[in-house]
Amino acid sequence: MKGKWTGIVSLILLFFIVGCSSSTSGSGGEPDFPTKDIEFVAPASPGGGWDGTARAMQKIMSDEGVIEQNINVVNKPGGSGEVGWQYLRNQDAHSMAINSSLVITNNLLGQSDLTYEDFTPLGILTTEWISVAVSPDSEYEKGSEVMKQLKKDPKSLTIGLAPGLGNNDHLSFVQAAKEYGVDVPKLEFQIYKSGADVVTALLGGHIDVATMSVSEAKEQHKAGEINMIAVSSEERIDGLDEVPTWQEQGVDMVFPHWRGIMGPPDMTEEEIAYWDEKISQMIETDAWQTVLENNEWQSFYKDSEESRQYLEKQTQNYEELISEAGLTD
Amino acid sequence: MGVDFQNVLEGLMVSIRPINLLWVLLGGLLGTVVGMLPGLGPATAVAVLIPITFGMDPTSALILMAAIYYGAMYGGSRSSILLNTPGDGSAIAATFDGYPMTQKGQAGQALTISAISSLIGGLCAIAGFILLAKPLASFALRFGPAEYFMLMLFTLSAIVSLSKGNMVKGFISMSIGLILSTVGIDLQTGVYRFTFDIPQLSEGIDFLVVIIGIYAVGEVLFNFINIDSIIPSNNKIGKKWITKDQWKKIKWPVIRSGPLGFIVGVLPGAGGSIASMLGYTTERQLAKRPQTFGKGDPAGLAAPESANNAGSVGAFIPLLTMGVPGSGTTAVILGAVIMLGLRPGPLLFENNPDMVWTMVNSMFIGNIFLVIINILLIGVLVRILNTPPKILYPLILVLAFIGTYTLSYSMIDFYILVIFGLVGLIMKLMDFPIAPLILAVIVGSDMEQNFRKGLVAHDNPFNMLSASSVSIVLTIMTILSVLYPFFIDWIQKRKQKKV
Repeated sequence: MKGKWTGIVSLILLFFIVGCSSSTSGSGGEPDFPTKDIEFVAPASPGGGWDGTARAMQKIMSDEGVIEQNINVVNKPGGSGEVGWQYLRNQDAHSMAINSSLVITNNLLGQSDLTYEDFTPLGILTTEWISVAVSPDSEYEKGSEVMKQLKKDPKSLTIGLAPGLGNNDHLSFVQAAKEYGVDVPKLEFQIYKSGADVVTALLGGHIDVATMSVSEAKEQHKAGEINMIAVSSEERIDGLDEVPTWQEQGVDMVFPHWRGIMGPPDMTEEEIAYWDEKISQMIETDAWQTVLENNEWQSFYKDSEESRQYLEKQTQNYEELISEAGLTD
Repeated sequence: MGVDFQNVLEGLMVSIRPINLLWVLLGGLLGTVVGMLPGLGPATAVAVLIPITFGMDPTSALILMAAIYYGAMYGGSRSSILLNTPGDGSAIAATFDGYPMTQKGQAGQALTISAISSLIGGLCAIAGFILLAKPLASFALRFGPAEYFMLMLFTLSAIVSLSKGNMVKGFISMSIGLILSTVGIDLQTGVYRFTFDIPQLSEGIDFLVVIIGIYAVGEVLFNFINIDSIIPSNNKIGKKWITKDQWKKIKWPVIRSGPLGFIVGVLPGAGGSIASMLGYTTERQLAKRPQTFGKGDPAGLAAPESANNAGSVGAFIPLLTMGVPGSGTTAVILGAVIMLGLRPGPLLFENNPDMVWTMVNSMFIGNIFLVIINILLIGVLVRILNTPPKILYPLILVLAFIGTYTLSYSMIDFYILVIFGLVGLIMKLMDFPIAPLILAVIVGSDMEQNFRKGLVAHDNPFNMLSASSVSIVLTIMTILSVLYPFFIDWIQKRKQKKV
């Protein structure tokens, strides 16, 4: 009996060794990674941009055969990303989380100890652009006219945004105002829970100016219910050719609302290379292009190395703007 | 605005295609089931289904998700009526008279009344949707911070005034709820309040955890304490079908609450909890004999049931016409349909009328399916009442914990759940009304934010009261609802004197 078992065990071991060696040497340097299910952490509830990015990646990577392993999306909402990112910190290289400017600004605003340096940036994927909109009945028809008024009297207009001070929608407005010479700390912002609430408030005439993602404003603008008067992109946006950029209006700034992906700290070179390869494969697919179009996102791809440099540069920029807005003591 | 009935009819034809009938049936069933389980609400169900809807035709996906949403309105009140443990804010009002009916041995009838009222409320709202979608959407826009604040204040004052003879306790209960609602990040300033460096608390205490804790866990604890003295509960299911007399009692409340719930549902800042509470309080104040409310009056069950289902249909108006979700569930639905390449907004009715009207018609069919499903289920559901407490209560506890975990997958919520279980127990032992606390937790934070935004816009609180015709009406109604119990007392005393 005993002999039989030893035989079986050694046979299994043999298979195992052969299996491993063939996968490392045989098929052209495929690394020993990943070895188990992949996990995408969306540090928010289902339904928003982070969750949407994670689920789109999950769908495409498995449908298009980019990754053989099972991919699961887990939602870890709370603390503007804090809960999900804290969770990621203690995972291995099979887990990664969606991020955005909040991974930098939470720390600058004193709301978190984490920064992007506590993680391994793996890539920046998409960006949205940020628009400023007014009511069609408004006396202002250009972004620069709004700024001119605010320069004269910073308290004369109420500006709506969501969901918190220090986010992209806020900081992009701050940057435009700063470039124009407005007394930024005196501006009056009203904070709403979601972009949709900001749109409603603008439609109902409860705020004068709104700053929000282009995607949140586009439908109402097309229908003539609100008037988009500036976008934060470098060039005019496809399908919104009538809306001038800030740069065209003499306000020298470009402000992306990017979303990226990062892994836990201390990933190996191979693991990083693996993700660089897979992510660059994914963004080439037609399915990814459809996702971008449906969500009004633009491709903003940067690989792991470029992402790290980009995040460093963004940190400086956000730091300046946050102190300009009077959000730090 | 005229309605193009051509489009409505074409939508009907698409909605009765077998595949779409299948989706609406599946969605309705799933909604009923998740609605019944504490914590597993329609938002979770829709979110879990998002990957499945990816490959679907957008119209079918919308039909499915909508069916889950209003299916949950039917299912949500089952546990309120049978076990006094609502699974969601909109099902709380069903405990007021639904559970007493069960205690009186009328569980079967209570479930039937709830299903029929939901159906009628839903049908009123669908008619309203077809005729009034666009004008109502622009009416809803007039609700600024001042109006929302007054609406919420009115709802709270109405619910406190319900605790008649006990208004002080009701007021204390509401105040505790308001205090709890201040936990979390303050939107206007970004300041963290009472979060004790726990990141999970930064978005506040989820009101669903409070509901599950106070009702489900609290109810279980309460029954454990009294387990020796428990009187063998009235296991009679009673008749299933309602009597002519009951129909007479519920007829008008149902028909009145439908449109009321519908209009509240259209307001993006309100939602099912406010709709059903207002349905209940309105009927109680209109009733000839309000003293029967809270003791198993069929009208007290029918009104909120009609209102919350009508509200769930109404919630689709801001979603589809403005791209503005009015509740957690519609927010998830919005995310899902955007993924499918649809853009809810003012152009949707012009660009995709077929889709909108197909969905509206499928709601009509879905409501009829649901009333049949729910009446057929009564026989099975009432057996819950025959389950021995030894089995039933641990089971409720397990469901409560699972439901809580699915809300945000965090352990912190378990502690909060247990704490509120104890709070619920204490409140029950000391005979404090629970509804004011829950409602205050649900609306408290929005009410505060609206108040502060209103202050910026109107400079002082008194200007807010008279900011528009809507807020004047709401102000008057608030004052009336506070004075109402005293007024009733006065009338009764006078009557007694005469006698």
